[in-house]
Amino acid sequence: MRADVPHGLRRVGRYSLLALVSAVVLFPIWAVLMQAFKSGPDALNHPESLLPTNLTLDTVRAAWTEGELGRALFNSVVVAVVVTICVMLVSLLSAFAFSFLQFPGKGVVFVAFVATMLVPAEVTVVVNRRTVESWGWLNSYQGLIIPSLASTFGMLLLRQMFLQLPKELREAASLDGVGNMRFLWEVAAPLSRPTLGALGLFTFLGTWNAYLWPSQIIKDRDHRTIQIALEGLSGAQINRFNLVTGGLVIASLPIFAMLVVFQRQLVRGLTAGAVKG
Amino acid sequence: MRAARTRRMRLVGGFAAIALLAACSGGDSITDTGATNPPTTAVGPDDSGVSTTLAPTTTVAPDTLPDCPTDALADASGTVSLELWHGMTGALGEQMDALVADYNASQSAVKVELISGSYEETFDNYLQSNQDNRPDLIQLPEYTVQSIIDTESVIPVGKCIDASGFDTAPFLTSALSAYETQGVQWSMPFNVSNPVLFYNKRVFEAAGLDPNTPPTSLEELRAFSEQIVESGAATYGIALESGFDSGGGWYVEQWFAKAQEFYLNGDNGRTNRATQVLYNNDTGVELLTFLQQMIQDGLAANVGDNSGTGFDNLLKLADELQPAAMTIATSASLGPVLEVLGSGQFPGINADDVGVGPMPGPDGAPGALIGGASLWMVDHDDPVRAAAAWDFITFMVSAQSQSTWAAGTGYVPIRSDALDVEPYASTVAADARFAVALEQLESSPDALTSAGPVVGPLREIRSVLATAVAAILDGADVQTTLDEAAQQANNLIADYNARNS
Amino acid sequence: MKRRLRDVPGAVAMLLPSMLLLAVWTVYPLVKAFINGTKSCDSTGTRCTDVGWQQYSNVWSSREFQDALAVSLKLALMTVPTGLILGVGLAVLADKHLRGIGFFRTVFSSTVATSVAVASLVWVVLLQPEIGVLSDLFSGWIPSLKNPGLLRDPGTALPAVALSSVWANLGFTFIVVTAGLQSIPRDLYESAYVDGASSWRRFTNVTLPMLTPSLLFIVVVLTTRALQAYGEIALLTQGGPNPEKSTTTIPYLIYGENSLIRNNLGLKSAAAVLLFLVSLVFAVVQYRGFEKRVQYAR
Repeated sequence: MRADVPHGLRRVGRYSLLALVSAVVLFPIWAVLMQAFKSGPDALNHPESLLPTNLTLDTVRAAWTEGELGRALFNSVVVAVVVTICVMLVSLLSAFAFSFLQFPGKGVVFVAFVATMLVPAEVTVVVNRRTVESWGWLNSYQGLIIPSLASTFGMLLLRQMFLQLPKELREAASLDGVGNMRFLWEVAAPLSRPTLGALGLFTFLGTWNAYLWPSQIIKDRDHRTIQIALEGLSGAQINRFNLVTGGLVIASLPIFAMLVVFQRQLVRGLTAGAVKG
Repeated sequence: MRAARTRRMRLVGGFAAIALLAACSGGDSITDTGATNPPTTAVGPDDSGVSTTLAPTTTVAPDTLPDCPTDALADASGTVSLELWHGMTGALGEQMDALVADYNASQSAVKVELISGSYEETFDNYLQSNQDNRPDLIQLPEYTVQSIIDTESVIPVGKCIDASGFDTAPFLTSALSAYETQGVQWSMPFNVSNPVLFYNKRVFEAAGLDPNTPPTSLEELRAFSEQIVESGAATYGIALESGFDSGGGWYVEQWFAKAQEFYLNGDNGRTNRATQVLYNNDTGVELLTFLQQMIQDGLAANVGDNSGTGFDNLLKLADELQPAAMTIATSASLGPVLEVLGSGQFPGINADDVGVGPMPGPDGAPGALIGGASLWMVDHDDPVRAAAAWDFITFMVSAQSQSTWAAGTGYVPIRSDALDVEPYASTVAADARFAVALEQLESSPDALTSAGPVVGPLREIRSVLATAVAAILDGADVQTTLDEAAQQANNLIADYNARNS
Repeated sequence: MKRRLRDVPGAVAMLLPSMLLLAVWTVYPLVKAFINGTKSCDSTGTRCTDVGWQQYSNVWSSREFQDALAVSLKLALMTVPTGLILGVGLAVLADKHLRGIGFFRTVFSSTVATSVAVASLVWVVLLQPEIGVLSDLFSGWIPSLKNPGLLRDPGTALPAVALSSVWANLGFTFIVVTAGLQSIPRDLYESAYVDGASSWRRFTNVTLPMLTPSLLFIVVVLTTRALQAYGEIALLTQGGPNPEKSTTTIPYLIYGENSLIRNNLGLKSAAAVLLFLVSLVFAVVQYRGFEKRVQYAR
C-alpha cells in the first residue's frame, strides 16, 4: 500500500517530520542561546525571552571576564589536544599487538583490558587523587593529562579496523622484511585514518567535557579547565540567573563548530571500524 | 523474532533480578554500619540532655596547641607568599579578589594568593590533602568547625589575639563565640550572614496590615498569614522550604537559639564534645507542629527542598499565579533580590515593595545565630608564615575592610564600628533594610545558646533533619519523625566520634 | 610454536604503555578501593582501622543504598530503551539521500557536543518552576510544570532527569546508529526488495539484525551512564525532592552535597565498589543477551 503514496508527498512528509524533530532537539539550545544574549532581567521575561529581540553581548562578556574563560579555554585546548594525540598513539600500539601479533595468554590479557572499561571513575577517583598528590601533580597539566590516558576504548575501535585489513597485507610485508613498527606507521595506520579520526574526535570531546577528575585535582586558576570555570559561574546569584548561559555558549561553541566540520568524518570513521561486531 | 524476544526477556530479567534482590533486604541506615556499635539510648522528648551522660570527652588543653608568634614577620627575608583557599565564587569572588588586592598593595612584606571553589570542595580538599599541600589560610563555613579542630592542623587565632594584644572589643560577641569551643577561639569570623524575613509590603497593605510592621513572633506570623490569605491579597502567607542549609536544617538551629534552648548536649558541643541532638524535644516538636499546621491550613506554601536555584522560596514572592507574601532567606541575598526586582520585571512586586524584618521566632525573642564563614590559620611549623597569616587576618577584619566587604557583598560586618566607616555607612543610611541583619545579631542574648551547635557531622545532621522536615511539611507525624531523625543523627555522631578520636 | 614466541618481545613493547597506564590509574585504585571498603577511617582518610568484609554487606543491605539502587535502576529503565528507540528512529529517518540531509544529521548529532554539566544547566533554565522557560510557556496546559514543578514533584522528578539525559545522549546514539546503518551492505536491502519484503519487514529482517553490534554498544554505554549518573542529579534536583529522595542515585548517595558518607572513606569506597559490581553484572547480562543475535547477524 505504501508504495501507492506519491513519491513527492512522501518526501514532503519526511521533510516535515525531519523539521519537526529538529525543532524539538534544537529548542533547548535555542532557549539557552537567547538567555545568553539577554540582560539578566530580560532573560526572566517569558515568553519574550525566546525572541531574538533586545540582544546584548553583556552577559557573554560578563561570563568571559568573571569566569576567566580565556585562560580556561586555553587550558582545555592544551589538555584535550595532548590527550587526544597520546591516546591515539597508545591505542594504535596496543590495537596492533592484539590484532597482528601472536603471544601466549593473548585472550586473557585482552579480556582484562576490556574489563577495565567497566571500572567507574567513582571507584578510582579517591585513590588516584592521592597518587597524583604524592607525586606533586596537583594543579598541573600532567595531573590532568596522564591519568586520562588510561582508556581502552581506542584500542577496541582500532582493533576492529585492523582485523578487517586483509591478512595477505601483513604477510607480504613480512616477506619483504618490513618490521612491526614500519608496517604500523606506513600501512596499518594510514589505512585506518577514518577510524583514527573518529577516535580522535571522541577523545577530544570526552576530555573537553570531563568534569569529575579536573574538579578533584585543580584548585588554582592557572590550570582550570573550561568545565571547572563554568561551575564557578553557576554559583551566581538570583539577579544573574543567566550568567552561566553566557559561559555555556562560550564553552560549547568550539565543540559545536568542530562537530559541524567533522560530523561526516565521525560517522565514516565509526562505519569503517564497525562493519562487523 | 524469537531470538529478539529471548534477548528482551533476558534484559528485563536482568533488571528484575537485581530489583528483586534490592527489594529483599534493607532496613538499617548506611550510617549505622560504621566501626562501632553506637549507643542506642533513645532520647526522650523531655530529656534536656545538658551535660547528663556524656561520653568520654576530650578536653582541649590550650598548652598543647601550636603557638602564634605574631612578631616573627620581622625575621622574614623578602616577601612571604601565602595561599588562601576560599569559597567565594561569582560576584562574591570578585569582591574577595578586590579586598585581597588591596591588602597586597598596602604593604610589601606579605603577598596572598587566592584559590577558590565552593565551600564543599574547599572543605573536602582540605580534609584530603597532606599537611604540606594545605594552604596557609582557609575560609570555611560554621558547620565545619569541629571537623577542622579534629584534624589537629591549625593554629587557633585565639593564640594570636593573646600574643599580639589584638583588640576584639568592637566585635559582635555572637560572631566570635560561634568559632569558640571549650574556651579556645579557633578561627576569625570574616563573612557573616543570618536569616531574615523578606515580605511584600504591597500585599501587606492590600491585606490591611501595616507594611512597616512585619511579624516578630510565630503567633504573629500565623495571624498575619491568616489575614493575608482571607483578604485574598496573596495565595499564601509565607513560602517555606526544607533545604538542608536553610529551612530544613540551619533555620531549626536558629529557632532553638531564639528559644534559648540547646540543640545538642554538651552545651551545644561547646563545653563538651556533643553526643546527642536534642531537636526532638518539646521545643522542636512545637516548632515543627506549627510549621506543619501552617501548610495544612493553607497559610504557607511548601516550595520543597530549594534545589536547583537555591532561591525558589524568594521567587515565590514574585510568582504571578500563586504568590506568597513572606519568606525567610539569608540576609546575603538582599542586594541581588533588590537588583532583580528593580528591573520591574515582576508585576506583583518591585524593589521598593520588599520589606525586611528580623526572623520571626518563638515568643518574638530577638537574636540569631551567625552563618557565613571564618578564616582559619593552618599550622606549617613556620613562625614567619604564621605571623604573615595573622597580619593578613587583622587586615581582613579591620573596620575599613569589613565596611568595604559588607557594602560590596551584603554580608553583615562582624564589628559594630564598621557602621561608622564608608562605604557601609552610606549603604545603611540610604536603605535601612541593609541594617536589619546586623541589628538582629546585636540583639542576640549573651548566652551559650547564642553560639549555635558544634559537632563533627553537623552538615550530615542537617541533611538528616532536612529529610525529616520535608516529611513533616508533607504531613508526617511530628514526634515520630523527629525521634527517628534524632536516632540517626545520634548514630552519626557516635560513628564520627569513634572514627575521629 | 616458534611463531608464537617470536612476537612476544614486540607485543610486550607495544602493550607496555597501555598496561602501565591501566595498572597505575585503573587496576591499582580498584584494588585499593576494595581494601578501603573494609576499613573505617577518620575524616581525612588517613587513620584507619580494619572492620572486615562485613562492611560490604552492611552497606548493600542498608536502606539508603537499596533506595539509591532502585533509583539508579529506574533511571536506567527510563533512559536506555527510550534513548535506543529514539536514536534508531532518528538515524533511520535521516538515512536517506535527500537534499539537505547533512543539515539534519548535524542537528541530530548536535547534543554530542554537550557535557553533562552543559546539558543539565540547559534543563535547569527550561524547567525551573518559577522562572523556567518551559514552566512559564506551558503551565496553562500542564499545571504541574509550575506547581510544584516537574523537578519538585516526587512523581515526575526522575522522569524529568531522564528527559535531560535522553536529550543529552541523543547525539551519541544517533551517530553510532548512523554509522551502523551505513555499514550495512546495500545489496542486502536490494535482495530483500526483490523478494517483495515490505519496508517494515526489511527493517526487522535486515536493518535490525545488522545493527545488533551497534545496539549492544549503545545499550552498554547508556546503562553505564545511567548507573553512574551524578552531574545531572547535582545540578537538577540535588537528590530530591525530599523526603522521598526520588532522584538520589548511588553516585549521588556517595558524593552528593547532602551525602551522609562524604567524609567517610570506608563506606564511600564500599558503596563505590558495589556500584562497580552492579555495572559489571549488567554488562555481562547484556553481552550474553546480545551474543546470539550478534552470531546470527554474521
